[in-house]
Amino acid sequence: MRLNSHVKSNIVSINLIAISLLIISSLAFAKAIDKPIGEHEGEDVKQPIEFPHNVHVIDNDINCLYCHTYARRSKVAGIPPLSKCIGCHKIVAKDKPRIKKLTQYWNEGVSPVWKKVHDLPDFVHFTHERHLKKLLFDRDTPVTKVKYVCAICHGEVGEMTVAKKNKPLNMGWCVECHEKNSGPGDCWKCHK
Amino acid sequence: MPQIEDEPLNNKPKILDEKVTRREFMQVMGLGGLGVTLAGCDATTITIEEGKEDIVSYLSPEEYVIPGVGTWYASTCLQCPAMCGIHGRVREGRVLKIEGNPNSPVSHGKACQMGQAGLQNHFNPDRLLSPMLRKNGELVETDWNSALKKIKQHTVDDVGLGEDQVAWVTGTVSGHQKVLINSHLESLNSNQHFVNETVNNSVWQRVSEDLLGDDAPTFSLDKASLILSFGADFLGTMDSPIHYSNQYAKFRSLPNRGTLIQVESKMSLTGANADLWISLKPGTEGIFAMGLAQYLLNSGKINNLSIPSTVRERISEYDVNNVNEITGASDDHIGRVGDALLRSSPSLVLAGPSIGGHSNGYQAASAIMMLNMLLGNIGKTITPQPKTPLSDLKARSGNTADLVAFTNKLKSNDLKAVFFYGANPVFSAPESLGLKETLDAPFKVAISSFPDETTMQADVVLPAASYLEDWGTHVASQGPGQDVVSVQQPLMEKWKGTSKGVGDIVLDLLKTTAPERYKVFPDYYSYLRGALRALPQGGLNDESFWEQALQNGSFALKGRKQMFRLMWPDINISAPKKDEKYSLYLVPSPRVGLFDGRHANLPWLQESPDQISKVVWDSWAEIHPTTAESLGISHGEVINISSNSGSIKTHAYITKAVHRDVVAVPLGQGHEGYGRFADGLGVNPLKILSSELEPKTGELAMYSTTVKVTPTGEFEKIVRMGADSDSQVGRGLVRTVSATQVKLTGES
Repeated sequence: MRLNSHVKSNIVSINLIAISLLIISSLAFAKAIDKPIGEHEGEDVKQPIEFPHNVHVIDNDINCLYCHTYARRSKVAGIPPLSKCIGCHKIVAKDKPRIKKLTQYWNEGVSPVWKKVHDLPDFVHFTHERHLKKLLFDRDTPVTKVKYVCAICHGEVGEMTVAKKNKPLNMGWCVECHEKNSGPGDCWKCHK
Repeated sequence: MPQIEDEPLNNKPKILDEKVTRREFMQVMGLGGLGVTLAGCDATTITIEEGKEDIVSYLSPEEYVIPGVGTWYASTCLQCPAMCGIHGRVREGRVLKIEGNPNSPVSHGKACQMGQAGLQNHFNPDRLLSPMLRKNGELVETDWNSALKKIKQHTVDDVGLGEDQVAWVTGTVSGHQKVLINSHLESLNSNQHFVNETVNNSVWQRVSEDLLGDDAPTFSLDKASLILSFGADFLGTMDSPIHYSNQYAKFRSLPNRGTLIQVESKMSLTGANADLWISLKPGTEGIFAMGLAQYLLNSGKINNLSIPSTVRERISEYDVNNVNEITGASDDHIGRVGDALLRSSPSLVLAGPSIGGHSNGYQAASAIMMLNMLLGNIGKTITPQPKTPLSDLKARSGNTADLVAFTNKLKSNDLKAVFFYGANPVFSAPESLGLKETLDAPFKVAISSFPDETTMQADVVLPAASYLEDWGTHVASQGPGQDVVSVQQPLMEKWKGTSKGVGDIVLDLLKTTAPERYKVFPDYYSYLRGALRALPQGGLNDESFWEQALQNGSFALKGRKQMFRLMWPDINISAPKKDEKYSLYLVPSPRVGLFDGRHANLPWLQESPDQISKVVWDSWAEIHPTTAESLGISHGEVINISSNSGSIKTHAYITKAVHRDVVAVPLGQGHEGYGRFADGLGVNPLKILSSELEPKTGELAMYSTTVKVTPTGEFEKIVRMGADSDSQVGRGLVRTVSATQVKLTGES
């Protein structure tokens, strides 16, 4: 079907508007969350398998919630079950040494004992579910952008291999974020 | 917290080495606050560990399992013999909370404090984690093979065991555990199974059996307009308190709120809820019931025709005035209770352990059941209870007659090997029975989750898994659920140690005595699955039937409909004779929470206040103010309570919630060898009970012991919840109206 120049021009305009809106909405999203300021030089934590976050997040563009799927339904994001890793790696990159080790765990029916990197004191009640709802789903932000939300507390995990703590995660830092983004200010919200 | 020394302070406050002034303290606190504010825009602050805590992912979880979110599984509570259905919340493989299972015909979705405290039974630091063998007089840890080999040596290998020389002593058991225990006895040519429960209502059950033809009928509290309870603490410790509490709530609901009258010599939780609480001389409750029977007959409102003349003659012997004199009831009690009964139909008359626990217990309980017959309650509020068609699974209720019979067997040296599970007779037997002295002779095996007084005397100790880690099937012994099999499934993996499920242990024992028959079962789970597959409900649909049973927590067996066989009693009852030297009756009162002492090792229940006195973590002796005054005893004073069989010391708690002739000491404390939380607390009143028996049933007359009470002049503070006073200090928290005022206004 041939389109006249007027219609073409309209389509181009609509596309431009749509793209502009997308950019604006992305910027708006980026602006909407006023991040707390503060960095933390985390320790290098030795894990049973050096999990390369960069390969998964950047090279293969896998969404954080694909593996840490519990984050949207629970207070903890959770380490993905071994069955989820094997779901891909029974086919993908089977010859890599780390995948061989992973497969060995699976064949022996035991889970790796990982070390917790992002820890909070027992008297702090933090829920991933609530934060994702407030910062992602309630804002109608596409779930594909979840890594920007995750990065607020976890930093640019996509640039890491083994995850490393790089935000303070202390009370002043949390409170600052709550104040900037109209989060609850009651003590018992976190200390219950 | 930010580190203070990193802050740019000119005058650092002195904290550790010098005395801190108020001003300096405020400085520190102010700077601390500033530090927290700075931390938000500060650089590195290390507050918590990184890379120290392990985190283990699931291997291949069920879809509904989400870390951080609890999943509820159905199981069965074994904290008391009621067999309530429960739900356990499991998160990351750990059971964290227990509630009632709404599908359970026993618990109706509720759980009592004992059920809730099951978590502390499970996660108890005193749990036995490994089998033990006695070597040179000491119990030393060993492995399962060595322990089972030792048991085999004493029961199978050339020991020449004769008929009935092996015994099991257990608490109330039912379901497939009972089947296996009986099979073990059978394989050793014995039928000596003794079932001991200190808190029981055996005499009432025997009366129900003899007069109605059903030892565990249904008592429908919710269908009654009035409940007259003689010492039946159905809200606290009797039979199935959760079920009865559910019914009681309906009974008390408007618009037809029922009336509760409680007759007892020591106020129970049920008594505290009653509209009228009548305190009688201990052991005379049956005589009061006979006086009441005469009042009912004389009213002319009872259909005399169906009552045999012999019964009418018996009743006529109990003149109301005489009855008042014997029982100590006030002049109008019989009339008030009688009129209330005549006004309220149908009613329900119940008897509890304190009635059956006297030398005239059977007669008294019969008189009380007869009131139901006179009032036409049979078939209305007392109906036959359908029983399981599989009699092998039916519960064997515990009692004290079996404890006496077991002791007699030991004394006559008839037993060569004894297995203990779910019973602690060394703690619960009165010293006058002489059980402890005779226990040395036989070879003893204890299956237990905890060290206790009996377990520590055993030659072999086998550590049992907690009931939250174990498989099982159970049938209620009393109340509803007698035609329902409650399924017990593990709510989590074995917590630690090498303990085994009780079914697995008995199966292991059976593999030594009847290997050909039982070696096909690798574990108790496979035995259970096989047994359920054989049921009509199982069979071809086994998998879905099993899944449904696990999900519901129980399955029904379509019990046989029962019919009553009514039999009028021949009652000849007199007041118990009292030794003048010992002027008070000792009431060993069951305590909500600690129960018979089995829960003394659970801190939640130790710190849970007693239902009446509010005392925690201790024993006490309740004594009436008049009696205390006549004996020169003050509140909190340590008193000596001595019977023919020994003496105990505890502090006096002066209260009007006991009869003048009574000193009441709660059960549960006085342990010596039940772990860090139980030992060294309070006294055990069971120790000084006499060995007098109720003649008809052979039960221990646990409420008939008379004692002498003397003050010592020493004082101890009684630790209890709330102020040390029953006064409301003028705050009007509970509005009351005097009885006189009620009478004047004509209300009742």
